[in-house]
Amino acid sequence: MNRIEPKDAHIKPQPIPDADTEAYWHGLREGNLLLQHCPDCGHVQFYQQAICRQCGSENLEHRAAGGGGSVHSFSVVHRAPGPAFRQDTPYAVLLVELDEGPRMISSLVQGDAATVTFDMRVQLVCEPAEGGVVLPRFRPA
Amino acid sequence: MKDFMTRLDPTAARGEPTIRGKAAIVGAGQSDVGRVPGKSVLALATQAAKAALADAGIERSEIDGVLCSSAFAAPFHRFSIAFSEYMGITPTFSNTLQVSGATAATMFNIAAAAIAGGLAKNILIVGADSLLTGLSPDLALRAMTESRDQQYEMPFGIPVANTFAMTAHRHMKEFGTTSEQFAKVAVIHREHAMRTPGAQMTAPITVDDVMNSGWVTTPYHKLDCSLISDGAAAFVVTSAERAASDVRSKPVYILGAGECYTHEHIFLMPSLTTTGAVQSGAMAYEMAGCRPAEIDVAGVYDCFTGTVIMMLEDLGFCLKGEGGCFVDDRQITYGGSIPCNTHGGLLSYAHPGMPGSLFHFNEVVQQLRGDCGERQVKGAELGLVHSLGAGFATQATTILGSGATL
Repeated sequence: MNRIEPKDAHIKPQPIPDADTEAYWHGLREGNLLLQHCPDCGHVQFYQQAICRQCGSENLEHRAAGGGGSVHSFSVVHRAPGPAFRQDTPYAVLLVELDEGPRMISSLVQGDAATVTFDMRVQLVCEPAEGGVVLPRFRPA
Repeated sequence: MKDFMTRLDPTAARGEPTIRGKAAIVGAGQSDVGRVPGKSVLALATQAAKAALADAGIERSEIDGVLCSSAFAAPFHRFSIAFSEYMGITPTFSNTLQVSGATAATMFNIAAAAIAGGLAKNILIVGADSLLTGLSPDLALRAMTESRDQQYEMPFGIPVANTFAMTAHRHMKEFGTTSEQFAKVAVIHREHAMRTPGAQMTAPITVDDVMNSGWVTTPYHKLDCSLISDGAAAFVVTSAERAASDVRSKPVYILGAGECYTHEHIFLMPSLTTTGAVQSGAMAYEMAGCRPAEIDVAGVYDCFTGTVIMMLEDLGFCLKGEGGCFVDDRQITYGGSIPCNTHGGLLSYAHPGMPGSLFHFNEVVQQLRGDCGERQVKGAELGLVHSLGAGFATQATTILGSGATL
């Protein structure tokens, strides 16, 4: 991993797709949050990888999530991890439990960070970010 | 996810040969700690190592094993090798370990196994970093956040504090743990640091001070968070046979070891409020042949106040969900059931990153030697150190004992 130099500290980290995750990032650009479904054991998983974490099958299918979920936990960031996120504070980092089961990390859009509560219903928003990347974020449902 | 409890059933190891009592810590040393400008990471490491060798009365030339943690401010690919060259040592057993904050305890566990297995005779354990003056504050934080996944976590601006904060937040939701109880952890650690020479923070604080210190990431305020420091610690570990014959210090024996790694991403943590410390602790107790109630003094990783509360539960010092009340009752200080972090911990003594938990080891070693002066826990014979990191992803426990516990 490259070290971030002081001159680059204001730039947000960009996700770099790899061979496992290319379809995931492509899906987001089309408005879909892809989960992996295992036809052999029924496991549904996030994130994108070559095998089912439950049974080891390589026979995985990508399916778009419905986009609904609830807040399993959260933390409102007041002191940013470096200059790149400073202008965004306070912002709510969410640990979202998707209706399909898997959990994921995201952050709140279209809502006040101070109003986030446990078990709050949230809905996926595919939001363009720097560098042509589309990030899966969530708004209050 | 759900089957990791059975997979790591510690009773499976019952009857197998273990490292219990095979190796001992016979030397402990520290560099200058806290704000230490003008010293490179390798210079700090060397200062600590020389102190540890002198403490043991073992010559540099006798060291054949070197284990180090890596350093943010000295990003050698092979820190242990760079350190050995700098120190003038040619080890025949060496590695640089990296499981975040848990690295400290893993170094002792691995050193004991290497000695028991004949890979080395005298091992130097060294951790050093310079997060306060070797990196700018922003880069220090940035260095921490770069340890989170670049695709699934970092794009959302997660400081490492945030992963721990979400677990603490959930603990509040599930068990009614309060911000005041978190603050109490910080207050007690400060009381401890006030009695420790060289501690970075020694001004007394109150629960209100913690609550009014400003948010970092909810539910954590500034004073719920550990320090950013410079510093190094080093230890000499040798065989029990040698420890009993010709070393200068009173040996402290490695009696039990356990580790557990439940996840990499915080969203795959099996439970936000019950961690792999349950397994690492159970393995260590089983190997040492003791119960939590028998531990006299502990070093419990305290990167955040809530971390201590959760670990007290998972290590069996109190019941799940009762950690907040346990701290409120002052059970983690003198007169309580398990005095913890009597040097002040990462919250008030120092936290130079991966070496941070080595200071817990240093304190527990001094306690078991009976060398802690006014900080001494009376009659301390059995100690535990628990190191963890990366949002509870990495967990390592070491149980230590005086000669009386062998």
